[in-house]
Amino acid sequence: MILSSTSRRCNSLRELRFGASLACFAAVLLTVGSAASAADEAAGPVGEPYVYTHWETFYASEGGLPNDHIFAITADGDRLWVGTEDGLALYENQTWRSWREKDGLPWRVVSAIAVSEKTGDVWVGLFGGGLARFSGGRFDNFNQFNSGLVNDVVYGVAVLDDTVWVATTAGLSALDTVTGEWEIYTEKNAPMEEIWCYNVDAGDGKVYAAVWGGGILEWDVKTRRWNAHRDPDREMEIDLFRDDGLIHIITTAVSYVDRVLWAATYFGLSRYDGRHWRGYMDHDSGLASNFINFTKGRSATSSYNATDRGLAVLSDFSTDTWVSYRRDTEDAATWTAHISVGNEERRAMSTDLSLPNHFVIAVEIQGNDVWIGTGHGLARGVGAGFFEGLSTPHVEVAKEAGQ
Amino acid sequence: MTGRALLLAICVVSAVSAGAGEPVYVGAEVCGECHDSPQRDQLDRWYLSPHARAYAALALPEAAEIARISGIEENPFSSPICLGCHATASDVEAWQFDSTFHIEDGVQCERCHGPGSEYMAAEIMFDSEAAQLAGLRKPDRRACMVCHKEKGSHTAVVEVTPFNYDEALKKIAHPGFGGELREVTVRLETADDDPHVVGVMVCASCHRGESKGYVASKWRLTRHAEAYAVLGTDAARTMAFVEGVEGDPRQSDACLQCHATETGISRTRGIQCESCHGPGSKHAAQAAAGEPVAAHAVGLFPPTRATCERCHVPGIHGADFDFNSYLPQVDHSRADMTMAQAAAIEYKTPFNLTVSADGRRLFVACEASDSLMVVDTPTRTVVADIPVGNLPHGVCLSPDGKRAYVSNRGDDTVSVIDLSAMAAVDTIRVGDEPHGVVTDLAGRTLYVANAGSADVSVVDLEQRREVKRLSAGRGAWGVSRSPDGGEIYVTNNLSHFVPFRTPSRSEVTVVGTERSMISDRVMIPEANLLQGVDVAPGGEFALVTLVRTKNLVPMTRVLQGWVMTNGIGVLWRDGRFDQLLLDEPDNYFADPTDVAITPDGRLAFVTGGGVDEVAVVDLQRMRAVLESASEEDRRDLLPNHLGVTTEFVERRIPVGRNPRGLAVSPDGLFVYVAEALADAVAVIDVESRVKVATIDLGGPEEITLTRKGESIFHSAEVTYGRQFSCHSCHPDGGIDNITYDIEPDGIGFNPVDNRTLRGILDTAPFKWTGKNKTISRQCGPRLAVFFTRIDPFTLDQVVALESYIRTIPRNPNRYRVGDQLTPSQRRGKALFERTVTNSGAEIPVEGRCNSCHPAPYFTNRELATVGTASELDTHDVFDVPHLNNIYESAPYLHDGRADTLEEIWTRFNPNDEHGVTNDMTKDQLNDLIEYLKTL
Repeated sequence: MILSSTSRRCNSLRELRFGASLACFAAVLLTVGSAASAADEAAGPVGEPYVYTHWETFYASEGGLPNDHIFAITADGDRLWVGTEDGLALYENQTWRSWREKDGLPWRVVSAIAVSEKTGDVWVGLFGGGLARFSGGRFDNFNQFNSGLVNDVVYGVAVLDDTVWVATTAGLSALDTVTGEWEIYTEKNAPMEEIWCYNVDAGDGKVYAAVWGGGILEWDVKTRRWNAHRDPDREMEIDLFRDDGLIHIITTAVSYVDRVLWAATYFGLSRYDGRHWRGYMDHDSGLASNFINFTKGRSATSSYNATDRGLAVLSDFSTDTWVSYRRDTEDAATWTAHISVGNEERRAMSTDLSLPNHFVIAVEIQGNDVWIGTGHGLARGVGAGFFEGLSTPHVEVAKEAGQ
Repeated sequence: MTGRALLLAICVVSAVSAGAGEPVYVGAEVCGECHDSPQRDQLDRWYLSPHARAYAALALPEAAEIARISGIEENPFSSPICLGCHATASDVEAWQFDSTFHIEDGVQCERCHGPGSEYMAAEIMFDSEAAQLAGLRKPDRRACMVCHKEKGSHTAVVEVTPFNYDEALKKIAHPGFGGELREVTVRLETADDDPHVVGVMVCASCHRGESKGYVASKWRLTRHAEAYAVLGTDAARTMAFVEGVEGDPRQSDACLQCHATETGISRTRGIQCESCHGPGSKHAAQAAAGEPVAAHAVGLFPPTRATCERCHVPGIHGADFDFNSYLPQVDHSRADMTMAQAAAIEYKTPFNLTVSADGRRLFVACEASDSLMVVDTPTRTVVADIPVGNLPHGVCLSPDGKRAYVSNRGDDTVSVIDLSAMAAVDTIRVGDEPHGVVTDLAGRTLYVANAGSADVSVVDLEQRREVKRLSAGRGAWGVSRSPDGGEIYVTNNLSHFVPFRTPSRSEVTVVGTERSMISDRVMIPEANLLQGVDVAPGGEFALVTLVRTKNLVPMTRVLQGWVMTNGIGVLWRDGRFDQLLLDEPDNYFADPTDVAITPDGRLAFVTGGGVDEVAVVDLQRMRAVLESASEEDRRDLLPNHLGVTTEFVERRIPVGRNPRGLAVSPDGLFVYVAEALADAVAVIDVESRVKVATIDLGGPEEITLTRKGESIFHSAEVTYGRQFSCHSCHPDGGIDNITYDIEPDGIGFNPVDNRTLRGILDTAPFKWTGKNKTISRQCGPRLAVFFTRIDPFTLDQVVALESYIRTIPRNPNRYRVGDQLTPSQRRGKALFERTVTNSGAEIPVEGRCNSCHPAPYFTNRELATVGTASELDTHDVFDVPHLNNIYESAPYLHDGRADTLEEIWTRFNPNDEHGVTNDMTKDQLNDLIEYLKTL
């Protein structure tokens, strides 16, 4: 398939580059014997992205997770926090611990989790219960009755320095954990066309809020000014001009990493490097679906997207190389990984991921591994031999050397 | 320019400076542009009233004394409490004044009638309804009584005539008689070279304060200041007529040459500085620059007898003038040390201490003297007394012994002391009300327990700044480092919030030093007031002091420890926790405050602040008692068992008054104990378990009435079995966070939340029912019946106790920096003062926040029904609490059911009986809360 791709006419710059790299390394490829390890399978031929072929699945019935309906996954070093419909869970040293309301969790539905790098406090968004701080085994609950939190229906949480940002159904709240002061942002004091804040992320002195029906709001902590990012063509049904801005205003998640903002919407994915926007839809990219629940940027050139039809990974921005993991049929035993460049599939690979449902709600990256949460369980893609971007001869040599 | 045009011009200027529609204070002189005429002489009538002298009166020695006995530590001229009644607009921001406003005018027109910028225009004022719509207030009795209700602080110092509202109203009545507005006499512009009068307010901008002898205020209290205003009185008119002056003496040059310094509206200020010192246009700048010689060169006169006799001609107005007797009345040539003298008696009140690694130096934090005292232990003498911040509490040393760190709970800082220079070299800002301090083993990080903000400051000692804040329990208090340096144990004085009628739950917070993050929180059931902490040398357990307050049952009996018991907690490394009592039947150990374990791990010494004793705990026997008990007994029996104490408490060593912190010498031979109310340090010989010496810290010999009261407050002598003291429920004069069921109003009924004692003198009546009009009644015989159960305080004791309680200071409000409000606080203030709802409907007066909660104490000191009575309450009328520093006295409402300020209105005001708030949006409530925290 790969060799056949180089013989085709290259109509786009992306394809030209891709074909050239393949041609250069073809000889190397031919000299390398095919390996039977999972890592080799995951890596594939040179010029292809890493593929998670080996997965571990976790279900509540196994006694670890408190519930299979996964809403949030957050990595904290070697620890992994999981928010479910009925409890909070921690995976550490291959052991699960969980907390339900009877264990002090203020509300059963955990919709978001963020960990403060400074204090180690775990901030837990509760869908209907406000916000909780979990620290040293103690839960403190901040809700709309006992604090300045604007609303108890919390969708997202982020921590920037000493401030906790909370995305709620009725606006954005910010808690200064040193002074105890709460600030509320709604349409009264922010350019919110809608106040339904679905997600929040922060970094480099900026806070990004994904507003369902309101685009992305960017808050500069230093200047205390808002900047709104919306779809310039303001069309709800189609994206009239690709790459003119945010692809759609019904945004569900944001992820800021390496000075790039990844924005998930129900109508595609956007990438913003501070100057240029790039939009992706399922008909012209490797996105499994335009309906994206969550996005997590691994780097400026790679993001992992939880869609209603599987996990779509943009492995390499410059070559528009994707790997999408999904069930090809309803009764398929396992998920299949589809490698594509743009929307042109290169090949499919089988995996051992067996989650029964590919409506992916949450995704997190932990080192080389990836975690996905669905309505029917949690899975970890084991990133043995993981590499970023596309496989190169160095990778092949390293594989040969057993590295 | 005509007077009316000038007035309109002023209006325009004011409107521009205020912003569209925002009322600002314009000052009495602007009011006087119209209200100073034969038909409307309100300005002069006011100027002659005590209202106009109210600000200046703060310079009197009596004011300093009133402040002192009220626990107000600031200069009255800086205190929001004093200024709240002695000035106008003391609680507003700088942008809310026009340049024509002078705080020196005391209680002036706008104090009662509201900021005048929007209603002062003549055409508005002629229309009463329009004026009120523009902000003109017509005060009623309620407005007057905010300040004129009897204040204990004032009646204790000055003779106060009981206030009769109706009579007082007659005295200040200032009706006008209508008619045309007078023409305003405007000062002619002079050439720059001509010296001219600038007015006393220019002088007053510098000549104020202690270093300047409160000159401006003292002038205002003299008859010179009222020389012009008296011309409007009937007596003056009569006198003028007799002397051949026709018409209004205020228009007569013959009178004005001696009764006013300048023309224009400011002549109201009578004989001002420049009448004696010469026109100030030239010398004011020089004087302001501190250049007296230059000032003299351009016209600053030193007045002489001749200066006075220009007007004080012998026989004038039938009076003789004795220069020598009148001069002292106006002499303002020296600094005024009245206020400093008011605080002349300064005790030490040592709180916590630490010993150097070589054992040769003892470092003692002294709360009353704001200092760190250094003692040479071989000679047992004081070798240094180093000034630090306000209310120093805890002290620790750097591991290399070169620096000491002292927490100052009164100004939220840590002082860094260079021990070679024996001086404070730096100040680090930390959280609210810092208490215990300890460094890590390497001396790179300092951990500070902040009682007020319920957290631990992590301070980078190389950068000398706080780098993070870790959430602790409530009232973070004491700290101790594990021997391996891996952990810091933090005790928390207050229980976490618990549902009503459930046991307390207090926390020991454990901080891992590797990453300076919380590693554990150990919850201690049924205990509170966790203060002292020390870790055993082997690290296998930590000891904490604790109290077990029995607030779940009515306080009807004191036998068997049914009010509170006192003991220690043992926090084992594996997370288990034991509690043991230090009490014996009928001989309790009130106020266990600190604990120190000897280096060999054999003994623990515990101070009993209320019993003036130090308990000696044999740790081996203590462990034996615990290990021989079943798990069930360890959990349920031993924490309440008064009968096993003597099995592990060897003895109680008598020491001096109110022992607080203690430290063991590194060689384990001695224990040093801070005798807080004896201004001394006790030296206990460990081997003999006997106090062998007293190190005198050099406090005053005289024991003042207040100091006696402080001793009584901290002593358990007056309670049955010495079970508890006043301090037990009011640590640091604050709260213990407990809701009690007290007998007098029915057993099982009327639960009441404990209230702070900080700054309460003028907030009578007391108790949630408002039944006690004075502190002395609150602490009088009834206290014995319902609390202490043995003989009540004697009259002398009550007087002394009240003398102390009323001086307990309130800490500076940490949310308000100067007069500046944050945008949220500003919006909140507007909500606090609002008169209409969001939809424009008028809020009834009784439904407005500031009706029941007016400044400066934010209580009208009345009783009110606000819909907060529960099914357990037999009445629904409660004393309106003051709101000063309200943020530090959670929980709220009379029974403490509201954990946070928000809950007062989100949960417990469904019918808008506690203020009209249900129309507010969440962000509005947020803003209101942010403002309340600044009060």
